[in-house]
Amino acid sequence: MKKNIQIGLGSLFLVLGSIFTACGPDARLDMVGMFAGSSPTIDKRFEQSMEYNKQAGYATIQAPSENYHVYVCTDTHIHQTRKRWEHFINAYRGDKLCPLTVHLGDIIDATTDFGYIEEALEQHPLTAILPTKPDTLMAVCGNHDIYFKQWGQFVKTFKTSSYYFIVETPSGAKDLFVVYDSADGTIGSKQLQWLRETLVWAESQTFRHIIACTHTHFFKRDGSQGHTSNYTLEETYALLNLLTEHGVEMLWSGHDHSREITQVKDMTCIIVDSMTEEDDEPYYMVVSMGGKVEYEFVAVP
Amino acid sequence: MKKCVLIFALASLLLAPAALAQVQPGDATYSVSLHAGYGHNLTYGSMANFDIDAYLPINQHFDMQANIRTSTANVHTLGVQLRPKFALPVGELYVEDRLMMRFAQRDNYHDFVHAISLGYMMQYVNVQVGMSNRIITPLPYTNHSEDAMILEPFDAVYRVEAFVRPQSESWNISLCVSNMDNYQIERMWQPMFYLGGWYDVNEHWRVRLSGKMKLAGMFHLNAHYYGAELRAGAEYRF
Repeated sequence: MKKNIQIGLGSLFLVLGSIFTACGPDARLDMVGMFAGSSPTIDKRFEQSMEYNKQAGYATIQAPSENYHVYVCTDTHIHQTRKRWEHFINAYRGDKLCPLTVHLGDIIDATTDFGYIEEALEQHPLTAILPTKPDTLMAVCGNHDIYFKQWGQFVKTFKTSSYYFIVETPSGAKDLFVVYDSADGTIGSKQLQWLRETLVWAESQTFRHIIACTHTHFFKRDGSQGHTSNYTLEETYALLNLLTEHGVEMLWSGHDHSREITQVKDMTCIIVDSMTEEDDEPYYMVVSMGGKVEYEFVAVP
Repeated sequence: MKKCVLIFALASLLLAPAALAQVQPGDATYSVSLHAGYGHNLTYGSMANFDIDAYLPINQHFDMQANIRTSTANVHTLGVQLRPKFALPVGELYVEDRLMMRFAQRDNYHDFVHAISLGYMMQYVNVQVGMSNRIITPLPYTNHSEDAMILEPFDAVYRVEAFVRPQSESWNISLCVSNMDNYQIERMWQPMFYLGGWYDVNEHWRVRLSGKMKLAGMFHLNAHYYGAELRAGAEYRF
């Protein structure tokens, strides 16, 4: 009996210790958020995003060529250093066929890390990572980006987490990119409705390609996903059905930190490798948007 | 037509324990239960669920259970559990083997899940831990091919349940956290929380009431409400 009490108290202290160490000034996991999220719920974030979209409208970006490139990275988890992120920026800036880049979420790692983004904006040549500037970075909201009440900082920097943009080629062909917020592990009822309406509208247009971008991946197919959570099963099937039934050709996501390519009906689901500073094999993805959508993964030193 | 035959055959197979229970009334622990529930989640909105469960103890070391759920959300579940068990000086050790088919007709997907777990049941506590694997396939079946099947080969299942009174009592209240129940086996990082109770009206009839809460984002660390269910029903023990 005495031993059982000792084991029980030991476990309790271990759990409480984990929680308290996760609440310090340099905490990397928002343990309180496991039970009560500190950022607004997805429905509220979606409403805020729509308010911005209503004012700013949806961007149309001119591609330099019929066959242009999109640079895609994810899970940079910027925390104290950002060498790989800078390498990625330099790579896409050096590609004359690249009109835009997409970050699939978990841009920063934890509390206080938006400071590194702000610092980068002020001091480094990355003077313009906002969508309206010459460096067109389309940001997806990841779960790390909203820990510790950080939604406010995400909005301050990136304005919206649910939007679409169109890329128009010199001949007038148009590609649609739909970005939705899955940082909570659910996209919520309002955003689901918006996504449905957007895709129904897209079907009535003549888009060359339709690409969906989000953070959370659908499946749990290998050991790399042991530590990452997904959507609920109800939402997994609802989203799969919605995307595949409305002509989405590719779904780009992150969250897993490990590459995975899954074909679901006519849609290719790609989980892009992470680009954290700690990762042994970081990659980003370069997508060639022409008559066909082709992709390759590029190692980051 | 083929599909109807298949569904009928599966339903018959799963209801077989109930039929057996009715023709072999000697053991008082054979039981059949009916439940109805109101559910809500962010994806489907509101729904009504109807469940039939049959429990069949084969002998003191082995029992079976079959579960069927149909829902106005157009998601339907068939499940069967096989449970070898071994009495210990305190409590009971058991192995639970679950097979479950879930037809998300509304979204044209179907999954088949197998879960095997080791459990330890005591009067106040029930603990289970094990693994599951899942095959996800698009509907209709004509889409089936090797490429159309998505295999999730390994995941964990768990259940921790505590009762306020010994389970042999005539009424009880329980609290539970688990990623599986008789109608759904979720992924590891998607726990569900349960509060339930029962009351024995007499030797044969037991009434049950339970609630379930499902949060989204617990392991995205921005947790909030995703879905809930309130369920009530009666069980007849032969």
